[in-house]
Amino acid sequence: MRRHTRRIYNLCYRFTSNRHESEDLTQDVFLRVYRTLGSYRSAHGGFATWMTSVTRNLLIDHYRRTKRDRLTDSLEDALPKLEEKESAGRRPDQAALAGELSEQVQRALGKISPDLREAVILRDLQGLEYREIQEVLGVPEGTVKSRINRGRIELARLLEQMGVRPE
Amino acid sequence: MAWTCEQIESRLSEYLDHLLGAAERHEFEAHAAGCARCTELVGRVGKLVGEMHRFEPLEVPPRLVSNILEQTLGKRAEKKGWRAWLGWLRPIAQPRFAYGAVTVFVTTIVLSQALGFQIRKISKENLKPANIYRAADRRAHLVYARSSKFFSDLRVVYEIQSRLRPEAEPQAAPEQQPAPNQRPGQSEGQPTRPRGLNRANNHNFTLLASMLDAVPVRSMR
Repeated sequence: MRRHTRRIYNLCYRFTSNRHESEDLTQDVFLRVYRTLGSYRSAHGGFATWMTSVTRNLLIDHYRRTKRDRLTDSLEDALPKLEEKESAGRRPDQAALAGELSEQVQRALGKISPDLREAVILRDLQGLEYREIQEVLGVPEGTVKSRINRGRIELARLLEQMGVRPE
Repeated sequence: MAWTCEQIESRLSEYLDHLLGAAERHEFEAHAAGCARCTELVGRVGKLVGEMHRFEPLEVPPRLVSNILEQTLGKRAEKKGWRAWLGWLRPIAQPRFAYGAVTVFVTTIVLSQALGFQIRKISKENLKPANIYRAADRRAHLVYARSSKFFSDLRVVYEIQSRLRPEAEPQAAPEQQPAPNQRPGQSEGQPTRPRGLNRANNHNFTLLASMLDAVPVRSMR
């Protein structure tokens, strides 16, 4: 339970970059999993993969729901506010990110398209295999490879623009 | 056919994730080695991927798990009466805690016995460090004295036994046919005597007497 909670919470946080939204989304994921547990078939893949699919669907729903808000308030304007908010009152989870590459990557992740973002998060931050990502996203293998590749290159380019060079 | 920079860029993640075959990998590396732009790209993205794989997952907020449990399974029924009073015992009423407690208890008993404490007669004075040290020192000396006495006694017994043993076992004589009128066990030319008497002759008794005079009398325990 705790292991799954941590994994789902991290997935939500990496996708949304918002702690409160991640908490709410994690709760929603478990609620949905609890209600639809009867529909899970082990033949369709592992439980963790199925749970990740549920999370991904909720994240996409959440992304679409909040798209209008984001259009009125562009990401470039929102980032400084986010930085101020984070530096004003740091909690342990934020402190772990503070001053590290992880924080810079988190910011860069917020700038790339959701398709590329979810592919990179699932591969490099959640450690899923290509086949599992294919199951979660429901797209062909070639698309998975392409999204991961483009996502990584885009992320590296953004980090370079931000003046960050991984050692 | 040599790879182009576009091919390198499009297959970069497959290279980093070891999904290329041996031939493709060779082509990839051959191009990257001779192209500064591709070398830089591979190095930059490779380092980023390596770093991301090392990121520690974030800790979940403390209330999140309990909130999820409440939302899915409902609130836990509050305990009433004596169960509520004994609720604080739950964390310590675990097998692991019981094992630990028993181990500590046994260790305490063994140590107190080794230090010479008597649980029933223990007083505040016994718990002073100086007294504990004195008791331990006394106990250690006592154990040492008893051990050395025991080994000394053991040595005396061993010496006596070795002196009483015949000095050299006689060579086994060639097997002879017994005389027609000789009984089994009877030696030739000697009258029949009990076998036990052969082992302790007068010479051995004299030796034992001289040793007992030489060795101080000790109690053998």
